[in-house]
Amino acid sequence: MKRVLCLLSVAFGINSILYQRGIYPAETFTRVTQYDMSLQLTTDAMLKNYLTNVISQLKEWLFDCTVQKLVVVITCLETNEVLERWQFDIECDKTAKESSAPREKSIKAIQEEIRSVIRQITATVTFLPLLETACAFDLLIYTDKDLEVPEQWEESGPQLIDQSEEVRLRSFTTTIHKVKSMVAYKRTNST
Amino acid sequence: MDDMEDDTTIFSTLKSFKSFISCPDRSLLETEPAFGRSGLQNLYTKRVELEEAAERVRSHTSLLQLTQEKQQMELSHKRARIELEKEANSSSRDLQREIDRNRELLLQIRHLKEREEKANQELNEQVENNKALKRNFEELHKKANEKDSKLSYSSISMMCGTLRDVRNTGIKYQVSEKKRKIEKRMLNLYFTSRNSLICALLPLMCAVHLQELERRLALQEQDSVIVKNMKSEVARLPELEREIKRLREENTFLRETKENNSLLREETEGLRRKLERVERVMEEKLKVELEKEKLEHELQAWENIGQSTGLNIRKPEDLSREVIQIQQRELNLKQQNYTLNSSIRSVEKTRTELMPEIAQLRAKAQEEQKKRENQDSLVRRLQKRVLLLTKERDGMRAILESYDSELAASEYSPQLMLRVKEAEDMLRKVQTHNTEMETQLSKAQEEAGTFKLQAQMVSVCVCFFRQKIEELEAERQQLEEQNNILEMRLERHNLQGDYDPVKTKVVHLQMNPTSIAKQQRTEEVEQLRVECQRLRDRLRKIEADGVMTTDDTTLIIPPSQEILNLRKQMESAELKNQRLKEVFQKKIQEFRTACYVLTGYQIDITVENQYRLTSVYAEHMEDSLLFKSTGSVGSGSMQLLETDFSRTLTGLVDLHLFHQKSIPVFLSAVTIELFSHQTVT
Repeated sequence: MKRVLCLLSVAFGINSILYQRGIYPAETFTRVTQYDMSLQLTTDAMLKNYLTNVISQLKEWLFDCTVQKLVVVITCLETNEVLERWQFDIECDKTAKESSAPREKSIKAIQEEIRSVIRQITATVTFLPLLETACAFDLLIYTDKDLEVPEQWEESGPQLIDQSEEVRLRSFTTTIHKVKSMVAYKRTNST
Repeated sequence: MDDMEDDTTIFSTLKSFKSFISCPDRSLLETEPAFGRSGLQNLYTKRVELEEAAERVRSHTSLLQLTQEKQQMELSHKRARIELEKEANSSSRDLQREIDRNRELLLQIRHLKEREEKANQELNEQVENNKALKRNFEELHKKANEKDSKLSYSSISMMCGTLRDVRNTGIKYQVSEKKRKIEKRMLNLYFTSRNSLICALLPLMCAVHLQELERRLALQEQDSVIVKNMKSEVARLPELEREIKRLREENTFLRETKENNSLLREETEGLRRKLERVERVMEEKLKVELEKEKLEHELQAWENIGQSTGLNIRKPEDLSREVIQIQQRELNLKQQNYTLNSSIRSVEKTRTELMPEIAQLRAKAQEEQKKRENQDSLVRRLQKRVLLLTKERDGMRAILESYDSELAASEYSPQLMLRVKEAEDMLRKVQTHNTEMETQLSKAQEEAGTFKLQAQMVSVCVCFFRQKIEELEAERQQLEEQNNILEMRLERHNLQGDYDPVKTKVVHLQMNPTSIAKQQRTEEVEQLRVECQRLRDRLRKIEADGVMTTDDTTLIIPPSQEILNLRKQMESAELKNQRLKEVFQKKIQEFRTACYVLTGYQIDITVENQYRLTSVYAEHMEDSLLFKSTGSVGSGSMQLLETDFSRTLTGLVDLHLFHQKSIPVFLSAVTIELFSHQTVT
């Protein structure tokens, strides 16, 4: 249940990032109430398909605790430069993988934390530089080196930003995972 | 005298001090054999007395200093007084000088005033004279004018007279002429009546006579005219001479008056300057009077000082006398002061010399006191021992007596022997105990020595270890800092998304939105390029042909009919334009030829607003007039510009353009002239 919570939160986080940064037009999103918050979920079929693929794979790997990071990379289509990187570090408590004993943290508390993360994502948009050009996003997953990946997945570079500013955001913990979130954006010349 | 008394007191105090110092030595020596307690008291009292004497000495010295200061103050005060008196003298002298100057200035002022009055009187007289002269001059002028008028009248009358005379003479001459004519006629008649035969000669004779008479008449007439003129001139001469004389006299008179005027003006200027000087002098006098008053006040103050101080000063000489006395007193006092200072210094030197001696003596006294105390303590111990010994002796004596008493009753030696043995045993025990204690002591000392060595070693090690600890701590801090820096870097890289390729890899779906978007973009770009190229080709074709072609590509072109219609319209418009142009040209040509023929001028527009007119009858082709239109277009105002041809027509230009201001008249005049030239030549 809690792992699912983690995944769900990740999915919602990605959706909110896409909505807030305007990668996809706002009219392609619908509002959904979750965690006592109104969240935006995309209605674009291709995007939904893509996200479900990624998240399903992610779920497997999370279960195996082979995921280290999940990164949302926003690229400018004209210049092919990476403009923003939303990074979620996932620390897995491997000892708790097998056991299913309940831990102390309640679901409500976890929900609170997730809510705060999503709120923080919306808040960070205020100081991020505007994305004026047409952009596209990509989801990268940092895994263990020896992991076998399915055919649809390929290795890629880390797609780092040249001259970036980094901001650390809140982290939230389920009993099994600890997720630290941060955002890195390309430094604008006006600063 | 007070200083001398002070010196004596100083010396007396020194002597007493010395005596005090010497006395306690004797008293100390005397009281030594006794227990010494009274000696201490004496010492203390003597010390107190010494201190009191020292305090007295100090107070005396302070007193002396104060008296010296007081004397110095008095001296300075007296010096100030002397200076003030000197200044009073000098100021009084200045006052006197200024009083004298004042008197002189007053006298000068009086003289100047008298002179001023005289000058004013003279000025007034001169002014009156000037006025009288002016009046005379005016009267003379009037007289001259009257005379002129009279002269003119007289001349006129004379002229009239002369004219009458002349007329009379003329009349007379006319009469004479008439008479002569009558005579001539008579003669003629006579001659004709008398000698008709001689008529042939007589007319000639008469004619000759007539001619001669006529010549004489003419001459006489000329002479008469000359005579008239001469008479008139001659009549004028005496009068003119009279006038000249009078005018010369008046001129000389006026020149004299002018000179007098100038002289008077100079005098007045001189008098004015004198007035100014006198005024300045008056001002200075006022200032001097004010100063004089101030100085008088000061003098009175100085005199009052004399009265207030009560030194019986009436004149500055008394002041000087007193000043001299004061100076002498001052000198004496200075000498005394110097002597006192020298004595004081010597006294101080002796005092300073005595101070270490006193210190030494005190130290000695203290040592001796200590010795005495030690000796007292020894004495006490000795006394105690003596007491103990005496008590022991008494006790022993008592024992011996008891033994002796007991011996009388029984034998005492075995008891004594027992006791002696017991004592000896006790002694041995005590001795062994002593030796044991001594050995233990030595052992303890040895152990203590070893412990000390160990402690030293340990301290050395401790120092060494402390140094090591400090070094290690410094290293640790450095390493911590490096560690922190590295951790920060790691964190930063981690934030940026760096990863360890050995342990992690980055994966993503092949069909991810970014790649899809990129593909789409490239496709779009390609499409756009292709379209661009097609459009360019089409444009080129259209520009080349000028006619649209049916292509495979679907371009939206306007229908051809519109273009044909437009072209037809264009052609018709062009035809119309051409026709209009031809018509205009024809008309213009007609009009111009008509103008040329009718007006006689060919009008060309060479430059804007400039019109060149060439006449029909122009002698040369280049002869032309240039007109420029001025003012607004269509107002018709024209100006003639200069050309070579127009310069030849200056007369006409002046007449018709400047005076009559009519260009058509001018042009017509030009044509007429040219025509006339043509016809004539």
